[in-house]
Formats: sequence, structure tokens, C-alpha cells
Amino acid sequence: MDKAQMAAMLRDMLRARAFEEAAAQAYAQGHIAGFLHLYPGEEAVAVGVLHAAEPGDYVVSTYREHVHALVRGIPARQIMAELHGKKTGVSGGMGGSMHLFDRSRRFLGGYAIVGETFPIALGAGYAVAYRRLPEAVICFFGDGAINQGTFHESLNMAALWKLPIFFVCENNHYQIGTEIHRHSAITEVYKRACGYGIPAEKVDGMDVVAVHKAAKRALDRVRAGDGPQFLELETYRYRGHSMADPGSYRPAAELNAYQANDPIAAAVHVAEHPYPSADAIAAAGADCVTRFTDHCCEGGHLDDAAVERMRREIQEEVADAVAFAEQSDAPNMDDAWKAFHRNRRFETLMETAQ
Amino acid sequence: MKAEITMPVLSDTMQTGRLTRWNKAVGEVIKKGEAVAEVETDKAILDVEAFADGFLAGPLAAVDTDIPVRQVIGYIADTPEATKTDSGGAARVAATTAPPAPPSAAPGAVPEKKTAPPDTQQPTAPAAAATPPDTAPSEKPASPLPPHTPTAAAAALQPPHAGGLQASPYARALARDLELDLSQVKPGPDGIIHAAQVLASALAPEDADLRRGPPYTIERPSMLRAAVARNMSATLDTPTFLISSRFATAPLHAAAKQAGLSLTLALTRACALTVAEDPWFNQVWTRQGLAKRSRVDVGIAVDTGDGLITPVLRDAASRPLKELVEDWRILLGKVKKGRIYPEDYQGASFYLSNLGVFPEVERFNAIVPVGASAILAVAAAGSDGRADFTLSCDHRVIFGADAARFLQRLGKRLEDLSWLATGEGGL
Amino acid sequence: MSEMLYWQALNRAMDAEMAADETVLTLGEDVGLYGGTYRVTEGLMAKYGEWRVRDTPISENSFTGLGVGAAMLGLRPVVEIMTINFALFAMDAIVNMAAKIPFMSGGQFPMPLTIRMPGGVAKQLGAQHSQRLEHMLMNVPGLRIVVPATPQDAYWQLRQAIRSDDPILVLEHELLYFSKGDVDEATLAPPIHQAVARRRGRDITCIAYSRMLPLALQAAETLAAEGIELTVIDPRSLSPIDWDTCVRAVEQTHRCLIVEEDCRFAGAGAEFAATLQERCFYLLDAPIQRVAGMDIPTPFNGTLEAASIPRGEHIVQAARQMMAQQ
Repeated sequence: MDKAQMAAMLRDMLRARAFEEAAAQAYAQGHIAGFLHLYPGEEAVAVGVLHAAEPGDYVVSTYREHVHALVRGIPARQIMAELHGKKTGVSGGMGGSMHLFDRSRRFLGGYAIVGETFPIALGAGYAVAYRRLPEAVICFFGDGAINQGTFHESLNMAALWKLPIFFVCENNHYQIGTEIHRHSAITEVYKRACGYGIPAEKVDGMDVVAVHKAAKRALDRVRAGDGPQFLELETYRYRGHSMADPGSYRPAAELNAYQANDPIAAAVHVAEHPYPSADAIAAAGADCVTRFTDHCCEGGHLDDAAVERMRREIQEEVADAVAFAEQSDAPNMDDAWKAFHRNRRFETLMETAQ
Repeated sequence: MKAEITMPVLSDTMQTGRLTRWNKAVGEVIKKGEAVAEVETDKAILDVEAFADGFLAGPLAAVDTDIPVRQVIGYIADTPEATKTDSGGAARVAATTAPPAPPSAAPGAVPEKKTAPPDTQQPTAPAAAATPPDTAPSEKPASPLPPHTPTAAAAALQPPHAGGLQASPYARALARDLELDLSQVKPGPDGIIHAAQVLASALAPEDADLRRGPPYTIERPSMLRAAVARNMSATLDTPTFLISSRFATAPLHAAAKQAGLSLTLALTRACALTVAEDPWFNQVWTRQGLAKRSRVDVGIAVDTGDGLITPVLRDAASRPLKELVEDWRILLGKVKKGRIYPEDYQGASFYLSNLGVFPEVERFNAIVPVGASAILAVAAAGSDGRADFTLSCDHRVIFGADAARFLQRLGKRLEDLSWLATGEGGL
Repeated sequence: MSEMLYWQALNRAMDAEMAADETVLTLGEDVGLYGGTYRVTEGLMAKYGEWRVRDTPISENSFTGLGVGAAMLGLRPVVEIMTINFALFAMDAIVNMAAKIPFMSGGQFPMPLTIRMPGGVAKQLGAQHSQRLEHMLMNVPGLRIVVPATPQDAYWQLRQAIRSDDPILVLEHELLYFSKGDVDEATLAPPIHQAVARRRGRDITCIAYSRMLPLALQAAETLAAEGIELTVIDPRSLSPIDWDTCVRAVEQTHRCLIVEEDCRFAGAGAEFAATLQERCFYLLDAPIQRVAGMDIPTPFNGTLEAASIPRGEHIVQAARQMMAQQ
């Protein structure tokens, strides 16, 4: 991995963290309403995977998708404005935090019903295969989605017709407040893909380099026509499920362990270890951003000053995004009707098909 | 199991019937074919025939209410036990409410609240969805049909209250446009004012204003009287003229007596033969054109004591007289019993009204009923032995000279009575 | 102009659109090799190949969702859900995805998706296979629903649906597939959502759709013999509804009778009744009436099944009652 790519990935991880913190602040100040699901802790997943993607690939995401959108290249201003429900938002203020869409960047949207990303990705994959294009569809989902019927239905069809879909599980171990051992009979998510003959692996989702490598591998295979690929990324969210959730069901030790900057984190991820034990968690833990920052510095790719400069620029970018969002106009009902009717070619009763 | 008893359809024009009495009480044995109730129609009181053996079961429709044809008015149960379930709610099957009781309008008196009798004003069960009422109304299985008749629905929406009139929105709008006071409009058979009633009221002459006159009460006319009033009003559009002559009636009277005929029947025959000679008298004006009849049917006005009815002698010109005598006997019997059907009294092409039994009446004229071209009014003979014959004619069909020739021929027929004694006309 | 069966009209419409536009594809259970359970896709797989005529596993939610995703990428999928009863599994794809993505994306994504489903009460298929769910779908903004009652409408409304950039549900009736009628493939049909008067009469406006239309027309003949004249309006579309045509008819008759096979309670007829009284209140001479299915799961027993849905005689009876009041 070259220096420029390292820097770009680090920049995106720092942007992601800063963006979400700013969003949390705006929410607390009452500028953002509704649900707000934040990403801190999971940055290595979005950055590692999406830096391995091509512009021609499609991305299908969940309701925790601000960072996927940001890393995909949607300007922070447009995302922040959408979170604020403004007309300048990427979805024109009609979608909100959970429904960011960007047709030009092939960002097929954030979906707020758990398990919906599978059929959307399935359809997108079908369309790509139909046209025989060397493109891939990246389908994000959490560990909570794997017990939804669509997971199994869609994996089956994707494998059956060898569709170009890259399934990426962000396993943060919790479906809202229910820990994975309490919601799944088999807690190693990647093993489920075996049931459909889809190649799958599990990688440390706190290690952006490892994620990036694995994603690249998988996407290459998808584009080569090998059919769907599956990657489980073990990660962790520092915050609760949403802004309304303090996340107090989780032991402090567990949270601290993940947040701690510990270089021996890899020990957690020994093969076939079903889930880190309390001891392991206490001993391991790794904040992916801090860890990658250190990694970049230690590798001599960046120095402290460069990182500091980067942080300042990002602070400015995020502050600008917040200011833009706050100053933007709210959409009115006319805008809503316009959005609703934009694609109704034959809406008027008196119009016949051409 | 319960079989339904419905308001019978007794003529093609019958839309409602007034239930006048139940011949049986709930629980009583009923034989198939037996008359379980009586219904008053336009012209007569008729039986409601039972179509099954069993026991009369409720709920029974309330007596003295107007009920649309085919609506359930009661039930026949298989077993006496089955008649016991819910026999109390008589009003539940009475689908129509009686017209609001009119105010007893003494001058300066405060009008009474316009409420109908409580037993007929409740929301009522629908005709079509009327199921054996052994389940509570709320649990009644839904039918594909409307769950309530419009009446019931409207009644439920508009509980009776002072000055509360039930009228359809369209009727109200029409009344507003026509500057009509809805309280002066008689509701339809369902107790609600619809557009048809507003239009009828707008087109009808206004009722006399009785408020400054003596105190009065308003009674509902019998169906028969109401029908006569309706039929007579319907003739207002007919342009008529009168033409009279005087003929001696004694010879006819004597000859009829000899032949064993009443004077009325002999006159009927004379008229029928005269009509048959001039086809114009057997035609009627319709919007489509002139209806030419191929047979002479003569209607004869009969006084029932409570109004007027016109039994019809069919084919009165060519059938043997003795058949007419027999028909007439049967018809009079039906009139006397009040068991006369529409086919007995509707559809004559010529009418005869004979008031000869009132010697004080020198002369009168009659109104041409809708559907005929002329009516002949015969008064009592005067001291010269001659009686006044006044013919009322529909001028759209019959002209003065036609009428004059008609009387001429009739006059000859009253002199030369050979038609009465001989030929196919003889007894 | 040629005479054909309803299913044949649908089949020809599919063929015509697939031949004209290679982004059109169809998918569903048994649509390919088998040719469709009601033969609507017969012969298409041989002609267009398996990528354009795709047999799917029994996974309604995901293959309907597949249609949504493919439509987002510009294909024009025609998803066949074998019967509307199975569409309950696909409600998320229909309601949460197809109906909402075009809007939630601020209009960025068109949804040229057509979903075909047979429904209604057929002949003793039991409660789970004898449903009318139009009222559920009508209450979802963003969906458009057509209910062709004749082969001619089946042909053109399906073609128009495929060409639309909005998600359109084509509700077919299982008892109509073998009904016969003339289809004019050359002349453009009326606009997809336009209602048409199938008959004109002065007394009552009868609104009847899908299989209730032939029933209403038959009842109208019976009533005409008694002197009661019905205007029969076929709305052809349940979302949007061509109110102007309905209102004009009711304004002429002052009475309105709605015939629907779905259950009375909160059914499609309720929407007709509510809106028409809002728009025609002062011209109504009688309360708007509905002849509708009973509020009961469809019984298996044939006699009871028939009793649970409207028949011609119910229409006749309701019309007589409306006229008898005055």
C-alpha cells in the first residue's frame, strides 16, 4: 500500500470520526431530529471496504450509513444537510439520516428496515449481470440482519445465479441491545455463507489494512465473475445503537477494551475464536482510528505534524458542513410533491403510453 | 329454520303496501295457503298468503305501516320453540316510517313536535339483510348487501328532533333552488324526502292554507281514496270538451228488464257497440303516438261507500251478453268484499258513469281518466222521460263532430233496441 | 382486432414489450420453463432466454426486492407474484422499498417496476388463497394500482404499466383469465388510469371493477327490463382513481352504488363512498350504497364461499331498494 493511499484512508477515518461527533453535537443541540445512528468505532470497515471499491461499483447500506456515504465521496455538506432535513441534503431533505441516496455515486441508499439491503443488492447485482458489466455491488449489513429471511433468500439467489455481490457484515456484536450470543445460534456470521456455497472469511474489522486487503481480494473475484463473496468484519460501536440509546447494557470493561489503544489487538482475532472472552476483551481492545494513525506514523508514511494538519483541515471541513446545513433552506411541501412526482411519466390521467 | 313472509307484489305498479292487520298471533299454527295478514293496496285489501306450514314467528312488521314490496314482514318457524326467539322487536322489520304526524294546526296553536309514533321511528333492520334474528344485531353476519337500508341508515344518523326533517341532500338543494318549504313536502314511502317528492311538490298546486279557517285535524286517506285523488290529478293535463244530448231511457230500461239486465249493463253494451263503430273512440293519446286498441274494454264507475272504483268489462262489444252478466256479478262481489285486483279495475278504453239512481241529478259531467279517450255521464231521466247524456272527450283524439256523431248513433241505438234482443247479443 | 382470452392478452402484452425494449424482463415462481401458472408468460423463456425470464425460488420478499433493485439500475422488471396471497411476504419490498425509494431519494431513482398478481375469490381455494387485498395497497402512497376487467384492458394496461417509471401493481382476477374479448393491439387504449363508462343510464351510477364489472353489467340488463337504468363505471384503476369521471356520472344519476369483491369494512368501496360524498353531497338523492364481500375469511364450502361475495342478484336487489324508496 503506497503512502498516498495510506494517507487517504487515514484522512477518511479521521473525517468519519469527526463528522459523526459533529452530528452528535448537532443532535444534542436540537438541530438534528429523529433517529441518529452513529458510526464511531467502526470506521475501519467503511474505509477499508470502500477504498477497495471502484467508482463503477454500487453500494447498498443500512441506517448507520453516514460514513459509508462520506467515504463513497458524497460531500460532507450534503450529508450533514440531509441529517438536518434541509433542501440541500443529498436526498433533498426527503430521506433523512437513514436514507441517504446518491445516484451519481452509485450509492443506492440507506435502508432502515433491517434486512432490506440484501434484496436491493440482489436486484442491482442482477442488473449488472444482465448487462454483463465488470461491476460489483457492495452490500453492507449488521450482525442483526442475518436472522432476517431476506438474508437467506438473497444469499441463495445470489449464489444460484452467480451474481456480482460482495456481502459485508459489520459485526458489532449487538442488534440494538441484544448481544449476538443471545440472538444467533451460530455467532460466527461468515459460516452461514457456507450454507449457500458462498466463499466467506472473517477479518478483524478494527484493522483497516486487513479489511482493505480482504475487500480487495473479494471484489477482484466478484469482478472476475466468480459470483458472490462474503466478508465478516468484527467491529464495535462506541456509542449506543442510536442517540437515544446510552448503550448501558454493555459492560464498561468491554467498551474500554475496544476503546483502548492496544497494539496486541490481533490476539483477539485468533482463528476459530467464537467471540472474545471477557478476559480477552479486557486485554485487547483497539480503537481503529488511533491504531491506524499510529500504524501510519510508525511506518513512516506520515508524521505527527502531517496528521495534525489533517485533523485541522477535517475540523474545518466538518464545521463548514454543519454551518452549511444550518444555513440551508428547509424544503417546502411543493418540493416534496416535486420529488414524489419526478418520475411519473404517465401520471396524468389523460396521458397515454407512447 | 324460519321462512320469511314478505310484502307481496300484487301488481306491477305496486311499490308499497299498507299492512292493515295480522290474522294470526306469534306462535299460532299456520297452514300453507292460509291468509296470515291483510294488506291494503291502492284499491283493495288483499290477503298475504302463507307459503309454508309452520308457526307464525316474529319480529312482525308493525300494523298500519307502509312497507316496500318484497320486504320481510314476519317469519314462519318450523317449531313453536323457534317462534319464541326475539319476538318483541316488531319495529325492527318495519323498514319504513310512517309520514310524520301532521300538526294539529289550530290557529295560533303551537305546532306539536313532528315526531312519528315511537314504534315506527326506530332504526330498523334491513329488508335484504334481515336474517333470522337469533343473533344480536351487532353480531349479525355481514351480507354483501348494504348493512342498513338507506332508511335505517338515515334514521340512525338523524334522530328525530323538533323540526328535524329527513331529506336527501339533493332534495334539499332542489328545494332551496325552487324556494320550496321542505316542511310542506310529503316524504316518500321511506319517510324521507327525495328529489322526486320535491319535484312533485313543486309541480303540484299548493295546498290550501287552512290556518285561518276552523281548527282541523289531518287524517291519512285510505289507499283507495289516495289513489283516486292521484288519478284524478293526473288528468289535469288532458284537454277536454263536453257535449250533451237528451235521450229517452225508458225503452232501454224496459227492454233490459225483460232481458234480465241492469240498466247499467245495458248502457255499457250500448256504449261498447257505439265505440266499436268509431275507432277514434278506442284510441288514446301517448307521447309515442296514438295507441289504437283492438278491443273495447269499458270501465264502469261504482260507488263503494268510501270512494270510487271502476271495474272493467273486457271486450264488452263482442262477447255474449251472458258472459258480461257473469263477469259483472263476480266483479261486484269482489268490490263488496274489498278483494279486487288491479287487473279487475285498470286499463279500460272507455268509461261510463251512471248516476241515474239519483233523480235529483239532472245533469253532470265526468272526468276523462288517463288512458281513455272519453267518458259518458248519464243522469236521471226528467219528467219528459229523457235523461241527460254528457260525453267528456279528450280533444287530442276526438273532435266535436266525432262526438256529435257518437251521440247520434247512441241515440238511435236507444230507440232501436234490436241489438239487445237478437243476434249474438241475446241472452 | 382479434378475440382472445384475458391471459392471452397479458401474454401478448409481455411479448410486445419484451420485443420492443430489452431492459424489460420478468421473474417469479414458475414463470419460465413452466410458462406461468396462468400461462401468462408461456413461450417467453424460449424466446428471450433465462436472464429475461427468470424462474425464482419461493422467496417473495427477496425476488420482489430484486425487482426493486434492478429497477433502480434502469431495468424494467415485471415481477409475477403467483397469487396476491403470497404478496404479503413481499409487503416490505412493495411498501417499504418500491413505494418509497423514488421519494426518499428526493426523486433520484425512478422505479420502473411492474408487479402482476392474480387475486380475488376463485373456486374453493380456501381462505388463504381467496383474498382481495387492494384496500391494503391503496393506502400506500407511491404505488399505482390497475384492475383490468377485460382482455383489452389487460393488454394495454400491462403495456402501459411496463412503460411507466413508477411502480405499478397490476391486479388480475383469477376468474377473469379465461374470459374472452376483443383486443385491438393497434390502436392506443385510453390512459392507464382513466375510468370509462361501460353503460349509460339515468337512475343509478354503479361503480364496479375487476370481476365485479361483468356482474354489474349483467345486473344492469336485468334492471333495465324493470325500468331501472344504470350507468356502469369501470374505474380501471384504484390508485389513482379517476374521480372526475365518477363525479360526472353521479351528478347525473344522483345515486351511487359501489360493487366490490373485497370486504366491506375499510374496503376499496369505502374510499369511493367517502370521496364521492365529499364531492357530490349536494347532488345525492340517496345515501351511497355498497355491495361488498362479507367481513369474513372466505369459507371453503362452495355454497358459503359464493354467499360471502357479491352476486348479480345482490346488485339488482340493492338497486331496487335504492329506487323503491322514492
